[in-house]
Formats: sequence, structure tokens, C-alpha cells
Amino acid sequence: MSAAVEGLSPSRAPLLEARAVARRYGDTQALAATSLSIEVGDIVAIVGANGSGKSTLLRALAGIVHGEGVSGEVRIDGRFLVREEVARVRAFVPQRPEVAADFTAREVVALGRFARGHDAAAVERALAAVGLSHRADRPVHTLSGGERQRVAVARALCQLDGVERPILLLDEPFSGIDPGEVARIVAALRALAERGAVALSMHDPGLARAVATRALVMRAGEVVASGDAASVLEPGLLGAAYAAEMERADGWIAPVLRRPFPR
Amino acid sequence: MKRRGFAILLAFLVVGALLRVAVGPVAVDGGIALRLGVPSGEVLSLRGLSVLSALVVGAALGLSGLSLQTLLRNPLASPFVLGISSGAGFGVACVLVLGYLFAWGGNWVGEAFGAVTGAAVALAIVSRFGRGGDGHDPTTLVLAGVILGSIFSAGTVLAEHLVPHGLRGDLLSWMAGRLPEIPDRGILGLVAAVVVLAWLSLAARARALDVSMLSDDEARSSGVMLAGLRGNLFWTGGILAGVAVAYAGPIGFVGLVGPHLARRLLGPHHAALVPGSALAGAALLVTADAARQVIDLGSGRLPVGVLTALAGGPAFLWLLRKGAFR
Repeated sequence: MSAAVEGLSPSRAPLLEARAVARRYGDTQALAATSLSIEVGDIVAIVGANGSGKSTLLRALAGIVHGEGVSGEVRIDGRFLVREEVARVRAFVPQRPEVAADFTAREVVALGRFARGHDAAAVERALAAVGLSHRADRPVHTLSGGERQRVAVARALCQLDGVERPILLLDEPFSGIDPGEVARIVAALRALAERGAVALSMHDPGLARAVATRALVMRAGEVVASGDAASVLEPGLLGAAYAAEMERADGWIAPVLRRPFPR
Repeated sequence: MKRRGFAILLAFLVVGALLRVAVGPVAVDGGIALRLGVPSGEVLSLRGLSVLSALVVGAALGLSGLSLQTLLRNPLASPFVLGISSGAGFGVACVLVLGYLFAWGGNWVGEAFGAVTGAAVALAIVSRFGRGGDGHDPTTLVLAGVILGSIFSAGTVLAEHLVPHGLRGDLLSWMAGRLPEIPDRGILGLVAAVVVLAWLSLAARARALDVSMLSDDEARSSGVMLAGLRGNLFWTGGILAGVAVAYAGPIGFVGLVGPHLARRLLGPHHAALVPGSALAGAALLVTADAARQVIDLGSGRLPVGVLTALAGGPAFLWLLRKGAFR
């Protein structure tokens, strides 16, 4: 993917373009120089073992890593934007969202409007998109882990509500949440990708194949494969990335496990 | 809910202020008695000034506590608990000792400078210690604050022994936290100006402060300039604590309990918490000062910090038990 720009409109700059973004901690190269571009309609899955650089890449794309050891550039629609401008078109959901105050779900979602001005209707739309309208007045700390994750996704959706070409980046949005919640979040991401782009890191290769249009496989801070989700997410490449034997089973891809009982 | 919360805080402040103005000592045969009533001219204006001075210091402590709690994203933070007041006290003691050694008379601005410097140093140390992988760990933060407070207090006692006896008594009772008996209007005006500026600065950033309660990555990607915001909170909290300590010594718990009271009555949004914490801090200190007036029969010998600690310490423990700090 680094070289190939699979743009929909060749005359226009890519929606999100990273050029040689890299991060080094002391002697450790957390992320080797990585270039990629993401277009409207893309849902890009970033897969790889823990510590392979998925979060670092996503945070670099989100423009929230800086300081020593950080290099490269990220452009949106071919332009560099300052943080307040960027927040009007690009949102990020971290792996572990936090709320260190006694806000309700609705209040947290409304915080997403910081850069764009309050919009009560946008807040309600975002809550409905993740299926949390009925929990909106509950303090966030009383919600389950999966519900909190959805609140964070709703906050990001609210931030991007009404944006012409939104960019949504999510770091493992499906970790620790149940299948029904996964389905609701996927539906919200697909709706957003109709007019913008989504990039997300995840572990389940089968889910990644089902959700993503494109995929990146990362290993030790480097992108080792990228392209069409169906062709990249196959047992051989994934097995190498996760250092485990992978197999295709019932149309899904899973690690080979010793079965206690014969089938 | 918010209007009711503000009304409660305001009523609390008014009752405390009325009590402070109405209760006072009178000389009777062979001693002193307390009298409740409307005092006459000069006494009224003196007591009014005392109310004003407690109000301003209380507001400074309340806003300082709020700044620190938001900065560290930790409801346990406050100038006293984190050793910042002790740091400010040590700064003042250093200025006094230097003033004695080099025989310059010393003035309040010098002490305030020492206090703000001491507060900033203490805050820098404690926030460095409290920073773990996922932001500030409450336990480490408070432990570091307690230890730092002990070190600075020991330093202050040491400094105290470097000055002659005459000055000593003053420093010791000042370290317990006391409002001046006869407030200096100029200095009080200066402290009030600092409080108003800090208030305006915090109020102007209320929405960004709300967003900063999310994780750092979420706040940044939402468009908050976090480094600048935190720098501002650091100096706001430090300067308020330093100025309050320079004026009245390290008065404990008002900076911790004030913002909590405001949060309970007004909710978590900073648009309400900023005025609420100032109001709650002011109400707490004015009332504590009125209670002191009753207990020490107007002699002014009892530091008000003793009362805020006696009332605030148990309140702290109660909050701890209620799980307010998790």
C-alpha cells in the first residue's frame, strides 16, 4: 500500500496520507518509516501481534505522537492542518478510553463537539448509532466495559457528525466487548465509511476480513503486507505475524488449537 | 440542579459571614465575654474586612484545589495534601531567614515570591513522582505529597532555628495557618486580584478543562492543546496556593473539600465548578473563621488552620470511605 495510491479520484489528494512516519524510543524502533494513504470508502484493518506497532501507527495517523524520536508527516486532503483544524475532520478512539469525572454518557459524547461547537442533535444521533440512547443519562462509571467503549466511539462519531469527508481512527475498538456490541459498532463504522475513511487495529483476522476493505499486517514495527483485505488476511501471512500456526476453519481464520474432543 | 447548588453555597457563605460579623468579644468585669449582635461602626468595618480576607483566601484555596485536581486528573489533589502548601511555607521561611541573615527588612512581596517558588518546586516534584504509565497514580501521588510535606515542614523548623527567638513564635503559629488579625487592605487587594485573574483564566478554559478529563489521546484528538492547558493549570494552582500561603500560612483541607462540595452540588462541568469551588472554599473558610472566633473568645490566638484540619480531616476520611477518590 505504501506506493500504490488506490484513490477514487486521481486528481484529488488522498483523504489521509502518511509519509515515512516513524517512531523510535531510545534504541528501539517502535515504528519503522511507514507510508500509506487512505481514501474515502476505506475501512483499513491493522493487524499484528501485541507490540508490533499497531497503536503507534494509529496514534501517528491521529497526529498525537510527537516529540523526540518521531518523524514523518501526515496530510489530510494534501494539507497540513493544525490541531484545532484537524479535530474538525479526524477523530481517534484509544484502546482504553478514560473519563476521570462523573460525566453521564451523554455528557461525554457531547465533549466530542469541543472543536466544532455544541450540537444536541448530533449527540443524540451518535448515541443512537452505538445503541446507547437508553443509557445516555447513566454516569459513565456505572456502565459496563463494552458500553464505555461504545461511549468513546459515540464521542468520536459525534465529533465527526456532519463532516463531509471524516476520518475515524480506532485502536482495538472490539477488545473485551460482546458480539452484539461488535455488530453495532461495525454498522456505525460502515455508515461513516460511506462518506469518509476508517482505520482500526484489531486482533481477530476473521472479523477483520468481514469488516475491512483493506488490511495492513504489522510485525516488529514494520508493515509486512498490505492490500486488499481478502488477499492479505490469509493463514500464511498471519501465521508469520503472530508466530503461530493459523488455519482456515468454517470460512474463518483462527489459530490451530489442540482439540480436546474429536469432532 | 445547578441553580439550587449555587443557592446552597451562597447561603452557606452568607450565614458564615453573618456569624463572623455578629459574634465578637466584649470586655466585661474581670474578663472577656462573647456577644451576639450588630457591632458598631469601627468594629463592623474591621470584622467586615476579616470576612473579606477569609473569603478571598478561601476562594484562592478552592480554585487552587480545583486546578490541581483537574491538572492531575485526581480528586485527591489539593495544595495541602500534596505538600504544596508546605513547600510554599518553606519558601517563605527561606525568605525570612535570608532576610535576617542579610539584614534586609523583608516585605510581603518577597514572602509571596518565596511562597510561589516553593509551591512550584513542590508541585513539580510531586507531579513527577505521581506520574506512572497511565497518568497519575493516586496512591503514589498522595504518598509523595505526604513525604514531601514532611520534608518541607522539617526544613521550615530548621529554618526557624536559624532565626532568633523573637521571630520564632510568629513563624510557628503562622505555619499552622492563620488569617491576619488586622488585614492589610493593600495586600488583601493584591491577593484578591490574583484570585480574580485565576478565576477568569480558568473560566475561559472551562470546556477544554472538561475535555481534559478524558484520556490524553482523546483530549488531544478532540482539539485540546493539552500541554498549554496543563502548563496553565500548573501555574494557576501553584500561584494561588503560594499567594494564599504567603498571606495566611498553610491552611489545610479547604482546597480539597471545597471542589468536592462544589462537584457534589453542581456536577462535573468546569463552567459551574470554577465559580462553585471558589464559592465553596470561601464559605468553608469564612465559617471556620467564625467558629474560631467563638472558640478562642476573639483572642485571635487559635490558628484557623487548626479548625479546618479538625473539620476537613474527617471529611477527607469520609470521602475516602465513600470511594470518592476511585
